[in-house]
Amino acid sequence: MTTLERRDTVVLGMWAFLATEVLFFGPLFFGYVHGRAYQPEAFAAASHHMHIVLGTLNTAILLTSSFTMALGVRAAQTGRSARPWLTLTALLGLAFLGVKAHEYASEWSEAASATGGEARFYFLYYASTGLHALHLAVGIALVGWLAWRVRRPVPIEVTGLYWHFIDVVWVFLYPMFYLLERYR
Amino acid sequence: MSYFVTWLALMVLLALTTASSYFPMGAWNTVANMGISCAKAVLIALFFMHLRGAAALLRIAAITGLLWLALLFGLSWTDLGTRTSAPAPIDARR
Repeated sequence: MTTLERRDTVVLGMWAFLATEVLFFGPLFFGYVHGRAYQPEAFAAASHHMHIVLGTLNTAILLTSSFTMALGVRAAQTGRSARPWLTLTALLGLAFLGVKAHEYASEWSEAASATGGEARFYFLYYASTGLHALHLAVGIALVGWLAWRVRRPVPIEVTGLYWHFIDVVWVFLYPMFYLLERYR
Repeated sequence: MSYFVTWLALMVLLALTTASSYFPMGAWNTVANMGISCAKAVLIALFFMHLRGAAALLRIAAITGLLWLALLFGLSWTDLGTRTSAPAPIDARR
């Protein structure tokens, strides 16, 4: 038996927090599954109003930001400066939010006049991506703070875990909202 | 190097999932999309989040949230799937 190192307890704490985050997003995912099962046509129709180019671009941006975050964590762990990578990660996060804000603005009038199953789709879309964007904004603030203030590797590593978690959530949100029956 | 390969794999999977949704496959479109999303999530968890080679305790903690989510999905769906819907008159008019 070995006792946990201090770093391990911090990382374990972050994983425990992420488990609660999974359940935080859970009801939205369940609401979506239910809606897809009971109102599939309306969901597919509403999905066609999503801007697929911007959605795909944003997915690529976020996946790339996870890559730069991972490089930042490794830089910190090997005694090099994580600042360039963390700055780039935060900028990619900001770019994602910028594209998202543009999408929100351009979809808003359509969403407000939707009815029935389409209205439900839009509700889930705004609630899920909004909660995701809120998490990302917190992540950007944390990463930005780390980039300028922190050199110790452990805070950078656990913030990295949080960042990757946000990325994973988006990996599921993207096909759920953007890719329904695109072949039509 | 392995981070770069992971990123490259994620980009290929993104291209695959987007392209697949333009081919009519019925229910298999959803299966493909969710399968690819799971593959991406596993890549991110194993390589970017270092679960590969992580202590057993961390891997258990990582799976806990998903386990609970599966339980709650199962219980909720059991409830919804076995109930008869009896809408109030005001709802039936919608």
